[in-house]
Amino acid sequence: MLNGITSAGIHEWEVPVGYVPDMRVSGRLFLSEALGRTLEEGAARQLANVATLPGIIGHSFGMPDIHWGYGFPIGGVAAFSESEGIISPGGVGFDINCGVRLIATPLTLADLEDRRSIISKLYKKVPTGVGSKGSLRFSGSKLDELLSGGSTFVINEGLGLPEDALLCEENGCMTEANPDLVSEKARKRGIPQCGTLGSGNHFLELQVVSGIQDSKTAEVFGITEGTICCMIHCGSRGLGHQVCTDHIRSMEKASKRYGIRLPDRQLACSPLTSPEGQEYFGAMAAAANYAWANRQIITHELRLLFESAFGIDYNEMPLVYDVAHNIAKWEMHTVSGEMQRVCVHRKGATRAFAPGRTELPEKYRESGQPVIIPGSMGTASYLLAGTETAMQKTFGSTCHGAGRVSSRKAARNALSGNEVAADLKTKGIIVMAPSGDAIAEEAPSMYKPSDEVVRVVDEAGLSRIIATFLPLGVIKG
Amino acid sequence: MSFEELDHTADVRIRISAESYEELFTLAADALFGILYSGECRPILEKKIQILAENQEDLLWEFLSELLYRSEAEFFVVCSTRVEFNEGGLMATVCGEPFDPDRHGGGREIKGVSYSDLFIRKTDTMIYSEIIFDI
Repeated sequence: MLNGITSAGIHEWEVPVGYVPDMRVSGRLFLSEALGRTLEEGAARQLANVATLPGIIGHSFGMPDIHWGYGFPIGGVAAFSESEGIISPGGVGFDINCGVRLIATPLTLADLEDRRSIISKLYKKVPTGVGSKGSLRFSGSKLDELLSGGSTFVINEGLGLPEDALLCEENGCMTEANPDLVSEKARKRGIPQCGTLGSGNHFLELQVVSGIQDSKTAEVFGITEGTICCMIHCGSRGLGHQVCTDHIRSMEKASKRYGIRLPDRQLACSPLTSPEGQEYFGAMAAAANYAWANRQIITHELRLLFESAFGIDYNEMPLVYDVAHNIAKWEMHTVSGEMQRVCVHRKGATRAFAPGRTELPEKYRESGQPVIIPGSMGTASYLLAGTETAMQKTFGSTCHGAGRVSSRKAARNALSGNEVAADLKTKGIIVMAPSGDAIAEEAPSMYKPSDEVVRVVDEAGLSRIIATFLPLGVIKG
Repeated sequence: MSFEELDHTADVRIRISAESYEELFTLAADALFGILYSGECRPILEKKIQILAENQEDLLWEFLSELLYRSEAEFFVVCSTRVEFNEGGLMATVCGEPFDPDRHGGGREIKGVSYSDLFIRKTDTMIYSEIIFDI
């Protein structure tokens, strides 16, 4: 573990006040000894920088998949008080509501004997990579409706099942969205990209349920051992990226106006009560709705393809759940023994609400929230459930994935895309992407082991493992 | 007179060394488009872009953010960039062609230009800058 960071319990570490100047609270990391050895100084410093922001409550948190990003670390969580706190685009990231969803199917491995063929069809059907365009165009008032309505809007356009929206965090729509605050530039970037996957770590992956750790909860989540599922990871595309760019500029001016000292310009922020803060919130919420609509459209394409390829019905492919990774939201949490409304920033982290929370869909209220943790092309993915410990310790938050451990440059220097694809093929995993570099940069060895990250959140009590999934084929951008 | 990619765990961090501000900004644009697109680019269209900002670092951030926006929104691949500084900012002349997935695809999307650790530093002989692009 890095110098100056001390043990604070099982898999818990304290980044003390004073680690960087002006910290208001300490930092709290959730790492095993092994993951602690991968912690970069840059990520610890970013975690500590977040602790300097006004109105932060409790701690600045780092999940086991923490790594060096910009502004907040990836895997960072912080809650801010309604009256004294701030909102920061650097606590959400450029890819607003980048998130992941899990879709169940009745198919089994026997149906996927020709795995390459179905992955190839998916690769043709779902636009991926730089410059890709979706087949649907929502512009003008239709785009306004999409930005206001999120999942519900596209479902009403015939692109999903009515229950899909209810199976997303926030019911697939942040009601605070204000499309008027989304610039023309953001709209121009977003209009052609609706229904596209993007590039980088975004993916669509077919998986098989390889193990059930909690059969009762798995049944509630609709997960059966041996069946095929699909995981989709993407976000708000150029529209969200531009919203962040637009607002970080105004937030930096606001930071100076409100006398907020910033250790990193990307942490530019504004009081939650300020006009600048509220404007960012309204625009961010609209971008978040775009992201839910985007994942819904890709889900629709997947279902149509599987209907024709396998002769199963659209209704036989239910959405298990959809979680947001990059978002700021108003939530009710217990602070100093009282329920308070706080603004929780999660950047590369997942909400993990406990049983009983009224925000959860009726059918998950006894089990706790489904938490979807993707692996890294060649490693297992997991389905977990939210816990009361997460409510008490991390404002109901857990990890979001394996978390990178090596740079993209190091990946390209060490590996070729062909080698990585060939290695995955020997394990029965088909990967398709527009370039070898796209595959090499996302090679499994460039990520922390997903089983170790998930073991830590399970043992720290931040979520419970319900089921394990192994990859069969993946499309990347 | 060059740019190189430095290690950064999540994103792409670029270090630029130049003999003039004009060269620095041109190399930064080359780095941006080198990440976004692969293959050959033909300079068949020219566009002029005016950027205003209060200081050189902000100007670099605004310049790269605007190039990223133009390229993505207008499906425009840039082969070369020329920069002339003027009062309060710069005028960029960019040459390129419409995006063709068969010839230019396979690059990596850039989500945005980060303010984190962005700097421009001048020595007696050289000007250096580092920029993080969110991938």
